Amino acid sequence: MQRVTIDPITRLEGHGKIEIFLDEAGEVANAYFQVPELRGFERFCEGRPVEELPRITPRICGV
Amino acid sequence: MAKLKLALYWAATCGGCEVAVLDLNEKILDVAAAADIYLWPVAMDYKYKDAEAWPDKFIDVCLFNGAIRNSEGEHLAKLLRAKSKVMVAFGSCACFGGIPGLANVADREGVFARVYGETPSTDNRDGTRPQTSFAVPEGELTLPHFYDTVKTLGQTVPVDYFLPGCPPAAKQIWAVVQAIVAGQLPPPGSFVGVAEKSVCEECPRVKEEKKVTAFLRPHQVIPQPEKCLLEQGLVCCGPATRGGCGAQCINANMPCRGCYGPTERVTDQGAKMLSAIASIIDASDEAGVKKVVDQIVDPLGTFYRFGLPNSLLTRVRV
Amino acid sequence: MSGENSFEPRIIGFLCRWCSYQGADLAGTSRRHYPSNMVPVRVMCSGRVDPTFVLKAIADGADGVLICGCHPGDCHYQSGNFNAMRRYPLLMKALEQFGIEKERVRLEWISASESEKFALVVKEMTETVRRLGPLEWNRRVFQKGQRKT
Repeated sequence: MQRVTIDPITRLEGHGKIEIFLDEAGEVANAYFQVPELRGFERFCEGRPVEELPRITPRICGV
Repeated sequence: MAKLKLALYWAATCGGCEVAVLDLNEKILDVAAAADIYLWPVAMDYKYKDAEAWPDKFIDVCLFNGAIRNSEGEHLAKLLRAKSKVMVAFGSCACFGGIPGLANVADREGVFARVYGETPSTDNRDGTRPQTSFAVPEGELTLPHFYDTVKTLGQTVPVDYFLPGCPPAAKQIWAVVQAIVAGQLPPPGSFVGVAEKSVCEECPRVKEEKKVTAFLRPHQVIPQPEKCLLEQGLVCCGPATRGGCGAQCINANMPCRGCYGPTERVTDQGAKMLSAIASIIDASDEAGVKKVVDQIVDPLGTFYRFGLPNSLLTRVRV
Repeated sequence: MSGENSFEPRIIGFLCRWCSYQGADLAGTSRRHYPSNMVPVRVMCSGRVDPTFVLKAIADGADGVLICGCHPGDCHYQSGNFNAMRRYPLLMKALEQFGIEKERVRLEWISASESEKFALVVKEMTETVRRLGPLEWNRRVFQKGQRKT
């Protein structure tokens, strides 16, 4: 089975990777989209004062 | 003169540094005239395998933003280090760990448990977690290894220049680009695009005697625009933070949070900030001091906002 | 070193040159017994003890840090120990957020004549830190990441 890897996906904000598997006829049999990046805002925003979050969460995406 | 070969890459970041490059506005055309861009995932279509095929030291300057959060970030940092003559840690995440570096309050398990299990919006009854290797009928899929501890770029590979800021100010980026094009960079290891002194030196506010009897939160005060924010009881990290930003936040009536990192002679920005804050507390007995200190709700998250991985302790013990 | 009994805590003591270090000297000349776990560092004033010193001691492997200065009002430089007094609670608050038990870092006022108090503080602190176990920031905590340089 032939495999096409697109790594990284470009011209967008963030990290992404696509794995495409082709069958014998060269048609797409299956494709997987993966996000190889995680920063954990859900965790480290905990414990921060609420008034500070407008200065932390903009860094989720700066584009 | 041959055009410069430029690479821009991002590891654990938000993309704000890429936008900061675009904030050069029409000067970006001058950059394009002086340099060819060989890698810039956010804006151009190059793949990692293209970069792997370059000979060593093929790239003249690599602007690397983002902290090192996982094995992919580390791999790209090492790869681009080998392929680049000059490696620039671009922005606070690459220089000090930045906001993603705040994740050093937890380890991998702590982050995964929260993100893939506990948040109110998570629906993950099977408890699925990211796997570094996963077998699907067609073959094997892989993901990078997620580290326990966020690292800075400088803790991962040798870095030639540090250009801090969250994001770096456009005029500072432009000054550095001009220095690169003219071949007038300072000795390797230097911070570039920064002031020598602290943010207080750039701050236009009137500073008088600093004696604080109470630290206030935003719902308790409307700050006066002319007077030092610290003197008004608002925690401002200006005294322990390197200037170069032009006191942008302070000019917007918001206290500094330290994104330009410590000044030249300071080892640990948070420790210096602790010292600065303590020195202005107007109390001379233990109970009085404690009362004022109790009003500072989150010293770690405030004084190490952009630099936890770069601090002496680097992370929280879990 | 492992196991509760075999663990000998390593405590860094920052002692003010005018009072507490003299108190330690007197403890020695008076032949008072106290544990040898504390490594004294003579500083000119407890106000000289930058929080950076405490963090550096911990980062380099100390299990506890003791800061000793003159009693408030007795500072040779008039107000140095008040600076120590103001820094300490804020530093403690940050250290607790770093996951460090508050018993590991202690501030005490010890005059040149208080050799008995000095011996008692070192003894108490050694036992407390021994009970808490090794901190070993340089080995255990950095292991989760990579030590810089």
